[in-house]
Amino acid sequence: MLKYLIRRLLASVPVLVIASLITFWLVRISVDPLAKFRRLRDSAQVIPKQRHLLGLDRPIIVQWWKWVTHFARGDMGISTRTQDPVSSMIARALWPTLQLLFWGTIFSVAVAIVLGVYSAVKQYSIGDYAFTGLSYLGIAMPDFWLGLLAIGLLVTGPKVWFHLNNPIFYSIGLHNEGVKGFNLDYIRHIVLPAFVLTASSVASWSRFERASMLEVLNSDYVRTARAKGVPRRQVIFKHALRNALIPFTTVTALDTAGLIAGVIIIEQIFSISGMGQAFLVALQTGDAQFLLAWFFFSAVAVIFVNLLADVLYVVLDPRIRFS
Amino acid sequence: MGRRVFGALALLTALSVVGAACGSSSKPGAAGTTTNTSAQAVPNGGTLVIGAEEEPDCFDWLGGCSGSSWGTWMAQIETVPYAFRDVMKDGQVVEEPGAVLTGMPTFTATPVETITYHITPAAVWSDGVPITCTDFQYTAIQQQTSKDIYDPTGYVDSDGKADLTVTCPDPKTAVVKYKAGDSFAGWHQLFASAVGILPAHLLQGKDRDKTLKDGYTWSGGPWFAKWNKGDDIVLTPNPKYWGAKPHLDKVVFKFESDTAAEFQAFKSGQVDAIYPQPQLDVVSEIKAGLTGAHSQYNAKTGTIEALWPNDQRFPFDSKAVRQAFAYAIDRAAIVQKLFGALDVTAPANSLNPYILQDYSDQNSFAGYHYDLAKVTSLMTGAGWAKGPDGIWAKNGKRAAFTIVSTSGDKRRELTEEIMQPELKAAGFDMAIKNTTADNLFGQLLPAGNYDLGLYAEGVTGLIPGLCSTFCTKSIPTKANGSTGNNTSFYSNPAADKLLIQVDNNLDDSVRRTDAKQADDILASDMAALPLDPLPDIAIWSDKVVGPIQDNPIEGMFWNIDQWGLAK
Repeated sequence: MLKYLIRRLLASVPVLVIASLITFWLVRISVDPLAKFRRLRDSAQVIPKQRHLLGLDRPIIVQWWKWVTHFARGDMGISTRTQDPVSSMIARALWPTLQLLFWGTIFSVAVAIVLGVYSAVKQYSIGDYAFTGLSYLGIAMPDFWLGLLAIGLLVTGPKVWFHLNNPIFYSIGLHNEGVKGFNLDYIRHIVLPAFVLTASSVASWSRFERASMLEVLNSDYVRTARAKGVPRRQVIFKHALRNALIPFTTVTALDTAGLIAGVIIIEQIFSISGMGQAFLVALQTGDAQFLLAWFFFSAVAVIFVNLLADVLYVVLDPRIRFS
Repeated sequence: MGRRVFGALALLTALSVVGAACGSSSKPGAAGTTTNTSAQAVPNGGTLVIGAEEEPDCFDWLGGCSGSSWGTWMAQIETVPYAFRDVMKDGQVVEEPGAVLTGMPTFTATPVETITYHITPAAVWSDGVPITCTDFQYTAIQQQTSKDIYDPTGYVDSDGKADLTVTCPDPKTAVVKYKAGDSFAGWHQLFASAVGILPAHLLQGKDRDKTLKDGYTWSGGPWFAKWNKGDDIVLTPNPKYWGAKPHLDKVVFKFESDTAAEFQAFKSGQVDAIYPQPQLDVVSEIKAGLTGAHSQYNAKTGTIEALWPNDQRFPFDSKAVRQAFAYAIDRAAIVQKLFGALDVTAPANSLNPYILQDYSDQNSFAGYHYDLAKVTSLMTGAGWAKGPDGIWAKNGKRAAFTIVSTSGDKRRELTEEIMQPELKAAGFDMAIKNTTADNLFGQLLPAGNYDLGLYAEGVTGLIPGLCSTFCTKSIPTKANGSTGNNTSFYSNPAADKLLIQVDNNLDDSVRRTDAKQADDILASDMAALPLDPLPDIAIWSDKVVGPIQDNPIEGMFWNIDQWGLAK
């Protein structure tokens, strides 16, 4: 397994190099790193100096090489907006996003598996049809709309209708002021953003799991197990589910990597100061250094999650070898 | 058994969540009380939570990363002493000496402009060290010599050299003297507006920007400000403050940039007050109704949205065309569409905002109303004729141009959409091509690479004077390194003479007269066309009591030390 992991990591390097070059070029042509200096009254003197300081007078390939080698050493540059090291900004923004992704993924996977298995086992039942309809609704519903709907129905609504002193759930940030740690306050804050993140994933993943389960349930070995008198619960959860999870893992791994971009909307709606919010602010203010680091970080995250998926395959199916 | 335990746990969790919602909170206050007036006693205690639309980039108020209005409202005016404050009195903004001064500074114009500040004997920093003349000296030197200063106006001359000195005859007296031959009519802005006074004993010898930018633990105002990056700014009372102590125990400004979510947070009681930007979605939310809320819409602000033709580009290089263009737009209809729901219906009729009414002719543009006959008369008189497509043409060139504004700004996009068919009907062909703020203000405008701009201009203090926007010397050229804010490329020597007087003449009556005359010339030349006054929108819940009133310069929270929470 270790050899396989090392091989995969080494194979990721050229992917990252190409991703970094494309990212660097795209950001350079889209965002002007000298924008904020152009408005200064002595811009005519400042801009040539800053152009040289930032290395913008060198060829783009030289600029890229300097950036990527510094990045590899942990130096992600200085934010043009705040003058803070980008690495500290990323570190500060990463933790809230990881929490959101963690809870969102856990709930999504758990609920999707439950719904998918139920729908497959009780195929064409009322429950199956109901979950199918809800799934299409979930897939079609945009995150920002679902988020605002959830806030309206689950935060503002109950407080107003039942004249509560406080809302049941909160929609700003992950904690009230002065509160830290994993506690009731945290749960009341994380539930809604995690739910919104979960909803669209559950919708598509449950459909996928349903299809995967149906295929496995109709296979010969499962029929044999039933014929041998293996209890139904054992057939479903011990024999069928495990095999049905293999393709499910592929989909969830790819989608989870994509969630990193998807949390932008959720963090904006729920005012969570994570990677998504930071990206939006950097985009609006033209913070080129931060954008470069953000895009590259996202590429690394996608590769890491796919690697994790490969490892999970072996856990789920011992027949798969890293050959 | 396992399922029963799981079910019981789930039920217990749900009950505790609901119980927490029903139970008492750390934010005392009952709904349903009416807003207090300043005549009633404001209770002490409690925590006020306010939704803040923007997080500042830094706390270095002198540096280039400052300039955030929210940063000033939330933290700067609460912690940094100001020589002058812009306060509300009888519904008007008035300038008065800050609590750090014993009274109005002594001013003499001759032989050189000299201002003498008398510092309040009891004025101290939060560590107990007295606020002295040394702090004034330090601040002035920083403004004059530091690199990356946001706005050194008044401290340096047009060449960027120190224009004034600060001497200290005694610790509690600061004497500011300008260089012989120089003067600065806006001297009230020194050690005030967006700058303030900094503590020399804490910053001397240090990198000011590095020390301040991430926040600081000192204060010279009624509050301490703690910045939890990404989350909030928390104000707590400064016990060493020599003035009236705040009523509240704590004020929390929670960052919430999404408008719809901000309003939901207000309706659900997570925040007790909001101060949203005058955008279309804000107006929609207000129209939808806010139960148990108080609101104030103030059109008498310091910001005007206007149309800025490029005077050096066809077709706006012709005064007749600019005037005809002004008659082709129904400005009242635009304002009605944008802000009618807030009872803001009258267009702005001066390029000076309302708060500078004493230094402007607030009706100078009133003559420009929607009048297609006038358009025809002006255009035909200038030798234009309508082509088969209904668009004016002269010497084979059509009256076609492109408007540029900031992309993603729904209010501006709607303004453009309203204008386009109106102008078409009047014989003008306007295309829309918006861009990012950085590109617009950093590249297109200074280079004159545009036809017509739509953006706002505002003032951060009671500082009259449009010379930086309309004087010939303010046109960006190669000679001055493309600096200068006259990106309309407008030039009129008669206007120059008046506008320079407004900036430099120390006689206030002369400034007022000249400013009004300049307004009339700008209107006659159609240098730019004011559209709508951007209103301030202040919304607060029943829980909040005190003399709450919007302040177009210092923001809604200018007197938050006098606010309280209803018992």
